Amino acid sequence: MQNIFEGIKDALILLTTLDPEFYAIVRLSLFVSLTATVLASIIAIPSGIVIGIKDFPGKKIIIRVIYTLMSMPPVVIGLIIFLLLLRSGPFGHYRLNFTPTAMIIAQFCLVTPIITGVVVNGTKERGQDIRELARTFGASRTQTLWLLIRELRINIMSAIVTGYGRAISEVGAVMVVGGNIRGHTRVMTTTIAMLRNMGEYSLAIATGIVLLLISFFINSLLYYWQQER
Amino acid sequence: MKIQGTGITKAFNRKTVLDINNFTVEDGDFWGIIGPNGSGKSTLLRLISKLTEPSSGEITYEPRDKEQSIKRSMTLVFQKPYLLRTSVYNNVAYPLQIRQIHPTEIRRKVEEMLTSFQIESLANQKAWTLSGGEAQKVALARALVFNPELIMLDEPTANIDPASIMLLEDRLRSHYQKSKPTVLMVTHNLQQTKRLCNKVAFMYEGKIHDYGSIEHVFGPDGTSLVKSFIQQGII
Repeated sequence: MQNIFEGIKDALILLTTLDPEFYAIVRLSLFVSLTATVLASIIAIPSGIVIGIKDFPGKKIIIRVIYTLMSMPPVVIGLIIFLLLLRSGPFGHYRLNFTPTAMIIAQFCLVTPIITGVVVNGTKERGQDIRELARTFGASRTQTLWLLIRELRINIMSAIVTGYGRAISEVGAVMVVGGNIRGHTRVMTTTIAMLRNMGEYSLAIATGIVLLLISFFINSLLYYWQQER
Repeated sequence: MKIQGTGITKAFNRKTVLDINNFTVEDGDFWGIIGPNGSGKSTLLRLISKLTEPSSGEITYEPRDKEQSIKRSMTLVFQKPYLLRTSVYNNVAYPLQIRQIHPTEIRRKVEEMLTSFQIESLANQKAWTLSGGEAQKVALARALVFNPELIMLDEPTANIDPASIMLLEDRLRSHYQKSKPTVLMVTHNLQQTKRLCNKVAFMYEGKIHDYGSIEHVFGPDGTSLVKSFIQQGII
């Protein structure tokens, strides 16, 4: 209990003393997770909508694969990406292992099925009605897709928030492909894991509290945006 | 718009639900499509509106022949209309917006339509807060605002209050007299058919069993099946 109280105190100190190393860790965490979420959204939102409303052979299998990938352990995704990016691996010549880019790729792979799956679910429910409405007014394919995105925006926002939550909070994948290198690939979750190993419990709790505060702030922004529109 | 169908069939899971040798709807006709539940009325509208493809046969639309041009000149209003998750104003404006009409013209047309349907006070209200009757007024206003050549209505006044029914019928009649579109209306309301339509088709088990003028179908020359359904109150 003592560690938790000290953690709260240390969190306030961390936030107010403007420690450059700590702020670099926060910045990198946000950069990696937000970039991965944005890139995943660009792919996953249209894919989720198309899978949700279209009937095609193999649709049920694809949905089952997406649901399975939604619960894929981050450390396994990290390991697969790590092996693909190894110097002897198929993408080794890019030399991406232990860089923020590799961390973004790993989180992108983690988040894409989550956003796709949530969007598929929402689209299955109302997508057909929206699509038929657009078609009864002679909307083009692009106009229909845009209407679907507009109408399903609450569901899409939930998908993005869920995906971002998964990205910012995971530790396994970024640890495997990033290596937690100080000043280069160290993010908040890997810092917490490292501090725990070092027995610095209160500082680990402090970092966790900061992570939660940032998540609260970003979720509040997304929630506000969703309500306004 | 003149519509002609030849050899139209539609099957779901190998079960044929619609089988019509041929039909012709002349430009400017106002057809009432009646018949018991499951007779294929809604399926026929979905085929004509191109929401569904026929299993066999062909439907032609004169004078238009290009796919997008046909789709842009018609509309279909469902019994339970889907209203966009936005204001009433934006719902009515939607068909005009996708046709890239000038915003000033959109405002003029939408305001005119809202006034016509006596829903101008609801302009800024969120569509999902409307009652059934109000929602159906918005749906019909949205369907008429872009002046389509073909209007299809699938039980547009089912489950709404008598006052709203009267208003919707009045607006529909007035729009029809002014713009002379082709109208196909599925309904179970016999009196409504007599009030609005100039032609009627009776459907039964996926086929057009009888069709023609109101006087023919509902008069002494009408078939015994139609008479029996009317007597039993099925339609």
